[in-house]
Amino acid sequence: MLTYIVRRLFQLIVVIFGVTIITFVIMFLIPGDPAQLLAGKSPTPGKIALIRSELGLDKPLYVQYTRFVNRLAHGDFGTSYQTDRPVSAMLRENIPYTAQLALAAVLLELIGIPLGIYSALRQYTFWDSAYTTTALIVWGIPVFVMGLFLQWLFGLKLNLLPVTGAGDLAFGIFPNSWDSFLHLILPAIAIGLVEVAYISYMQRAAMLEVIRSDYIRTARAKGLSERQVVFKHAFKNAVIPVMTIAGIDLGALMGGAIITEAVFSRPGVGQMIYSSIGARDLPVVAAGVIFSTFVYVIANLIVDLSYAWVDPRIRLEE
Amino acid sequence: MTEEVVATAGEGAMEVKPLSPWADTWRRLKKNKLALIGLVIIVIFLLVGGVQEIANLLGPQNASETATAAQRPWWQRGYLAPYDPNGGDFHAGPAGPINPPSMKHLLGTDYLGRDVLSRALVATRISLLVGIIAVGIALAIGLSLGPISGYYGGAVDSVVMRMADIFFAFPYILFVLLIMTVLGPGFRNVFIAIGILSWAGYARLNRGSVLSVKQVEYIEAARAQGASDLRIIFRHVLPNTMAPIYVAIAMGIGGAILTESALSYLGIGMRPPDASWGSMITDYQTYFFAGQWWMLTFPSVALVVTVFGFISFGNGLRDATDPKLKE
Repeated sequence: MLTYIVRRLFQLIVVIFGVTIITFVIMFLIPGDPAQLLAGKSPTPGKIALIRSELGLDKPLYVQYTRFVNRLAHGDFGTSYQTDRPVSAMLRENIPYTAQLALAAVLLELIGIPLGIYSALRQYTFWDSAYTTTALIVWGIPVFVMGLFLQWLFGLKLNLLPVTGAGDLAFGIFPNSWDSFLHLILPAIAIGLVEVAYISYMQRAAMLEVIRSDYIRTARAKGLSERQVVFKHAFKNAVIPVMTIAGIDLGALMGGAIITEAVFSRPGVGQMIYSSIGARDLPVVAAGVIFSTFVYVIANLIVDLSYAWVDPRIRLEE
Repeated sequence: MTEEVVATAGEGAMEVKPLSPWADTWRRLKKNKLALIGLVIIVIFLLVGGVQEIANLLGPQNASETATAAQRPWWQRGYLAPYDPNGGDFHAGPAGPINPPSMKHLLGTDYLGRDVLSRALVATRISLLVGIIAVGIALAIGLSLGPISGYYGGAVDSVVMRMADIFFAFPYILFVLLIMTVLGPGFRNVFIAIGILSWAGYARLNRGSVLSVKQVEYIEAARAQGASDLRIIFRHVLPNTMAPIYVAIAMGIGGAILTESALSYLGIGMRPPDASWGSMITDYQTYFFAGQWWMLTFPSVALVVTVFGFISFGNGLRDATDPKLKE
């Protein structure tokens, strides 16, 4: 287990190094002079030169890169061109909203697990084919299409739920009132429903594979009841791989549910990045990319390590 | 195909000719109705998108000339649709520019009096191009690095796979946004960015298959005959590791279409007045909530149906080529 952890940590460092270097290269080597951008509408050459030396843009590239990483390590993501505020403060304000949405969506998508198992146990029945077809269709629905139709149905037609914004938060990421809980429902469903379809499809496939394996045949042959075979023997092996998908989803969503936040005009990391694109607010977009990547990689690491901990076949593989 | 008929119907149980891998896959695939529906959708999508691409290639190359496109002979208009997709008409129908579906405009008209059907048809081309270009780039990179990585192993393998890890970790849409923030909009850049970002999946997938194939006797035989490494990799190993790749291509095209539509929805990618399904959806969302449902609904349906086609066919193909599921 220890060698496995060390190996995965080493991979993590390589990935983080690679991501920062690629982001750095894109930010600084492709056309457009950040100093000129920062200097505003009518820059004097003197002002540009001043900003250049302030930002260290006149130094050799490797010095600039070291500075860039050093600042990142201290949580300094630079200053937004648009709002003139530190990007790290903007991130801190927006993270709780995104975390709330991500958690709600992932909890919702776990519904896919029982649905998938039920389908697999009734393979080739009408229920199974009807459900599988529905799942395949829903799987392909883009989140923004789902979001717009949910807004139309539950907001406009039924007038049941709020369609934009988010309420205030309490205790970190929890809704502080019934109203802010209601604000969470539609965005969470927009993401969750598509993922339920995907998860249940994967769960069905995983269950079908497990249920055909030799040890299940043995369990049946010993005369165990179908309930015991499914829940005591098949369940764990079929569910763990699918749980890892949910874990990785959580990591991906924490990094910013940009499309959902855009559709529902919800505050969050994604919204912050989205509203910076038009203004070409590079520090904010770059910070968003780096932040999301970090969260995603770390979530992946946690998922992999817990997978290896639960299932020894993984850590002994290589 | 004819061989298959001979093999199954002609000779009886005594001496059954083994089916070729393709015939075997097809035999199993055609039992799967969902996969067949997916295949039909894909064929229609390829035809519609292909026709629009040909029309676009034949049409005028200068954008300023397209204003009068409807007055040209049909083969020089740059599109094949009942109306000019970008030509507005404030008297498109009795209600002014915005009209619900009717016999004249089957899917209605939008806020500039443009024909929704024509716009959705022409937009098929964008989805087709993104699918082909993005997946093409990803395959070219992935299928060069993957087999080399798997075949040589060691340091080469480590370097390629760590690079794959890095590209895997990038949040797709955000990274394209970063590139677009720097490069500015333009849909070709989007295609290329999607392609460059998605090679890692193909490389990893193929590396795995290569690892299992390279130990097989016929590879040793080829080596004994003095074939070069490159020849062994691309002539002998690669062709035998393609089945999972075909599945990944089908899923990858569906994914690329989804990504492009999401980027267009966010306003990156297509520049007005040209339409992609995603940009039509953004464009029409306010009208959708005002009760003019047809503008947004039809591009959404086209998008969902197309992606369903690729996912459904891809899943069917996976089941049909998976040796574990053979009876």
